[in-house]
Amino acid sequence: MTSLSLPSRTDRDLYPALMSPELCASYPAHHKAFVRIDVSLRVYWHTLFDICPELLELSGPDGMSIFRPFMAWAGEKKLAFDWSYYLWVYVWPRQSPFKERLLADRKYLRSIMGASAARWAVLDRGRDCGIVIGCVDTTDIVIGWKCRSVLLGREIELIEPEEPLPAPPDIFGYFTLPTFELDIFPGWQGLAR
Amino acid sequence: MRLGFNFTLGDTHEMVQRLIAERHIDYCEFLIDNFFCVEPDELAKAFDCPVGLHIMYSKFLEADRPTLVDFAARLRDYIDALNPIYVSDHILRFSHEGRAFFHLGEVDYSTEYELVRDKVLQWQDLVGQRIHFENYPSIMDGGVEAPAFFERLTEETGAGVLFDASNAVCSNRNCGTPFEAWRNVIAGAKHFHVAGYRQSLIEPFISLDTHAEALAPDTLAFLEKFRSVFDKPGATMTYERDDQIEFDDIVADLKLLRNLFGQPEERRHDLALSA
Repeated sequence: MTSLSLPSRTDRDLYPALMSPELCASYPAHHKAFVRIDVSLRVYWHTLFDICPELLELSGPDGMSIFRPFMAWAGEKKLAFDWSYYLWVYVWPRQSPFKERLLADRKYLRSIMGASAARWAVLDRGRDCGIVIGCVDTTDIVIGWKCRSVLLGREIELIEPEEPLPAPPDIFGYFTLPTFELDIFPGWQGLAR
Repeated sequence: MRLGFNFTLGDTHEMVQRLIAERHIDYCEFLIDNFFCVEPDELAKAFDCPVGLHIMYSKFLEADRPTLVDFAARLRDYIDALNPIYVSDHILRFSHEGRAFFHLGEVDYSTEYELVRDKVLQWQDLVGQRIHFENYPSIMDGGVEAPAFFERLTEETGAGVLFDASNAVCSNRNCGTPFEAWRNVIAGAKHFHVAGYRQSLIEPFISLDTHAEALAPDTLAFLEKFRSVFDKPGATMTYERDDQIEFDDIVADLKLLRNLFGQPEERRHDLALSA
């Protein structure tokens, strides 16, 4: 096995690199630390492209022309990589060469909003039952519901309201629902980084 | 040894019912915090068998106290309604400097013991009962310190270990943690997990806890060699499958475990062979 000057005895030694393709490259290939980091980075990749495969149409089949610069940008912005991970993936290409193609077809936005709503329903452990996500690029809203029955999974709804909600002040906004009814509009919250 | 299956979401409800009806399993393990919006009474009626409660996202090492107080209060409702065989959780890192891992991180056993011990004591106090903490499928070499860490943790906190046998196999393959080093932990544990693992895609190959494959030969060999240390009155072993969920494949693995440990009511623990 290749010797390594960087600390790599424990997983903790690798924490900063586990979400950074750039730092991964500072570890020699064929070292266990590199493989460990690669395993972690692949999960970020698959979490993005397995759920939103449409994005591969923009990036090419390996996804790297989106994944690498997005992860570097996310590192600079110190994004939390919480349920809003996908929404930030949409925010980033709006400032990139992909912008025109991204905005030309609403399927990308729908996929991304649905993915983030689902991720909230999977990961959030607060008392709220649902999340509503809106975007300045559409009047549609997407709702993610947590599991409400032992017979069901999480549910995602796309709604095209007859009377659109006000646009969020930023690119995306969200609010959460304390019950399994969409019967309130408390105003949009901005995404936390 | 009672055998169980992990129930994480409603789409496997019918299959778990069938596993129970055909007596392939004796209990069911809920990934309980996935069901925090389901009424406890509905959950209590979901399956006609005993249950275990496994926690995934308490994040008790990282979450602030008000968050944990609220989580514990909701968990308590399910404990009271379901009267579980055990409650278990993970010793894991979910984030670094506020940024979430998507492949969760292992703690540093040599430098973080006191922090983990204190958090475990606080978490058990909030939940109001003993919690069994799962070992990690170690990759890096610091994983060899896990057995001593868990031994000390159980001694000093009264916590249990939810000993994941296939995680120990991964740790053995990845960083050489000897199976023998786990003997005291296994002997003191009553609740176990087992699942399949797979290799990484690139070399040097490491073994990854995936819950998507059949039980590996070395996992079965480990169980067989330490059978009498695992098996004891009240012991449970949950077979975990989270992907590639095929009934016949799962039953095939459960039969291997049943053949190894026997029907729970048929085992005579006082005659069990020592490993």
